[in-house]
Amino acid sequence: MEIGDCYIGWATDEEIRSKGASGGLVTAMLAAALEKELVEAVVVLKKLGEFEAIPIVTSDPEEVKAAAGSMHSVPIVLSRYLEYGTKVALPAKPCDARATIEQAKRQQVNLDTTYIIGLNCGGTMHPAVTRKMLETIYKLDPEEIAGEEIDKGKLIFETKDGKEHAIKIDELEEEGYGRRESCQYCAINIPRMADLACGNWGVIGDLAGKGTFVEVNTEKGIEILQNAIDSGAVEITPADEKGKAIREKVDSAMQKVAASAHEKYLAPIEGSHLDYYMNTLSDCINCGACKTVCPVCACGEAAKCTDFYSQALGYKMSLFHLVRFVHLMDSCIGCGQCTDVCPVDIPLTHLYRRFAEPLQEEFDYTPGVDMRTPPFFGVDLIED
Amino acid sequence: MDENIFTTVCPGCSMACGMYIREKEDGTIDIDWRKDAVVNAGKLCRFGVRLPHNLKPATSMVDGNEADLADAVAAAGTAIGDGAVFVSVGNTTCEEHLALMKLAESKNAVVNTGMGAFSRIPSECHPTMGVGIPFDAIESAKKIVLFIDPYEQYPLLVRRILAAKKNGAEVTAVGWKAVSLADENKVIGPDQYEAELALDSDSVIIADLNPSSDPEQVMVLLNLAKKSGAAIIFMKPFVNAVGCDLASKHTEQKSFDQIIEEIDSGEIKTLVCLDTDLIEIMPDETAVREALKKLDNLIVITSRESTITDVANIVVATEPLYRKAGTVVNAEGRLLVGSGTGTDGIDAIGTMIGQPVDLFSELHAAVLATVGIDSVDERVIPAYEKPEYAVMEASPTAEAVETALVYAYNPFLWNGIIDDNDFVEMNLDMVLANSLLKGIPVKLTSDRGDVMVGFKVSDVAPGIVLSNAKLPVTTGMVTSVTVSR
Repeated sequence: MEIGDCYIGWATDEEIRSKGASGGLVTAMLAAALEKELVEAVVVLKKLGEFEAIPIVTSDPEEVKAAAGSMHSVPIVLSRYLEYGTKVALPAKPCDARATIEQAKRQQVNLDTTYIIGLNCGGTMHPAVTRKMLETIYKLDPEEIAGEEIDKGKLIFETKDGKEHAIKIDELEEEGYGRRESCQYCAINIPRMADLACGNWGVIGDLAGKGTFVEVNTEKGIEILQNAIDSGAVEITPADEKGKAIREKVDSAMQKVAASAHEKYLAPIEGSHLDYYMNTLSDCINCGACKTVCPVCACGEAAKCTDFYSQALGYKMSLFHLVRFVHLMDSCIGCGQCTDVCPVDIPLTHLYRRFAEPLQEEFDYTPGVDMRTPPFFGVDLIED
Repeated sequence: MDENIFTTVCPGCSMACGMYIREKEDGTIDIDWRKDAVVNAGKLCRFGVRLPHNLKPATSMVDGNEADLADAVAAAGTAIGDGAVFVSVGNTTCEEHLALMKLAESKNAVVNTGMGAFSRIPSECHPTMGVGIPFDAIESAKKIVLFIDPYEQYPLLVRRILAAKKNGAEVTAVGWKAVSLADENKVIGPDQYEAELALDSDSVIIADLNPSSDPEQVMVLLNLAKKSGAAIIFMKPFVNAVGCDLASKHTEQKSFDQIIEEIDSGEIKTLVCLDTDLIEIMPDETAVREALKKLDNLIVITSRESTITDVANIVVATEPLYRKAGTVVNAEGRLLVGSGTGTDGIDAIGTMIGQPVDLFSELHAAVLATVGIDSVDERVIPAYEKPEYAVMEASPTAEAVETALVYAYNPFLWNGIIDDNDFVEMNLDMVLANSLLKGIPVKLTSDRGDVMVGFKVSDVAPGIVLSNAKLPVTTGMVTSVTVSR
């Protein structure tokens, strides 16, 4: 096995295969990594309901197996749950993987001991929006939902009576539902920065729906996949050229959709920029949730954004936000967490992207895709 | 790696926002966002976000010395005799509150929830004072009148009101400080409400009910809702104030002012507080401290360390709210249950009444029976019923003072926490008239003495000094002060 190889893989355990997405390869690899003591812990989402899951750090393979299956309505970035020094594996959407790499640049995560199993991602949905969408668009009771999947541009819900209900994602998004805004314009669908990039795109023929396409990106990727094969948890077969081409085609199509959404959502600001930012931030209640949840922030309590800000100052625009906008210009990955948790529904990710994108474009720098640091990262301002 | 994760609600106010608490091996906690929470979609205000920094567990104490829980319970059981007075504002579960009610009944007493307005206002109004309009329904109101500052007091209401505005609602705020999301801000008296606010049956009134609320003012708002046909919600500062009120079945109760007066006069010798800190809750902290010194027994059953645990004779330390088994009811009447299974508090109270085991099941069944349901489903909410009561005579009295120090009640203030709130607000005219300088604290002087405190220029009514934190110069809900450099 070599870096760059592509395979189709699946779990050998029938239960994992049927419960996990696309043949249960990822679940089987994570469980095998624990069972063979390749890692001490795995970060997974513990399912609490059809729209609810909580990240857990577990060393119990059974908890990993129980977490099998994708959950598009649980938009959480898992990198916040990693601890430095622990030998750990995690399933990672592109934003999970990118946040993990950014944390590694800030010495919060040791990549040498972190196995990132990337998952292709076309976007996630906020559970509250999903529930409302089910009631108003699908005319379904959210409590009757038994499962969901995204296939061929459609969002499909399965109800407990076994019926499937599909609507085109484009149509849902026209109505203000569907994927979170930041997911709609995210152009990174295949997590090639992860040790492995897994997904169902490019799985064709008899294996369609039964196997996972996996691209090997690093030596660690080889290690964790080989570990699962050696332990008998996983079987693989080389991916064929047609499958690879289809995978690229899907990715390319998704990127075009993202570019179009980017144009729609991040169109130039009309009128005064100052007014725009002041108005958009006017309802901020100074909760600090955006900082707390940010998966690339590593400042902790002693942070520039909080140290230079006090509610008593009474400036027309919050210094907290201004400092954060600037501080995150080189590291914002557009994951959408800040918008999700904002208690007054300020579209914060949108604002951060408006600051970050010009700089990231200027320096041809995309945070979280490799260990390269931006030009001014860690500059010592005091000359000898 | 080893941690316990609890599904729970934020203890900050009667929104009862859903959240997760991660409790680590060393006992420290982190919060996490429960995005599927029906009340708040996982969003939290600063109080919720800062909970790990501010929530300090209580320690059992007897006569100033650290004690085992069992010893503290035994000491409390001995000290609580007939004549004891019991208080619980709703900072705990319905079940634990009911346990205290059982203990109080065994001493021929009731549990006072501190909402004095309930005892002063006809009982037919109590359902309306208790359970309000569902938060979702706020979003479809045509007109909203705020008698609160949502940004300060109940921040998770802001997004509901903003959503209503997007849907075309007109928002009017009545209060000392301009509310930026309001289309119109008014400083008007109760006699002007009806004419100035022009409410109708598509309107929603959002108000606040707390232990210091003037019952006459509450009656004015109830009248306003009744006459106009508007829906109304009274938010409360305690997470389970509604549940404790329902559990108490509106028994004749004393206000906290009455209780403090009776302690001061020597009528009350033993006070039992369940997760209730009168020093934090009452506006005149100094008077409360002085009164509490006169008690023979101050017994505090509590899950958190606070000002009152420092002065109590006995502290019975229970598990934090997130670890407790049981239910809370929020301001919209939604019964919520967390994943906690702890019954330390209930068992402690059970021991005091001679029923040390399995009291929880009995109490939980009683809660369900009171609410009229078989099981808890957080997505089910009682249908809102428009007010059913007769219009009342009401004449609120406003204390006339030249410069008034008033509190901007927020969750930090109710919990005695200094956060980023240690400043007062006043308008520019007051700042200029007193030659105050930015960055230099202002001096506030009352009969109680003076205090230097930071200030901020805000759109506050003339003659008002609004404080976001407790100040030692305060003597009541409105304190006459002078402002100087």
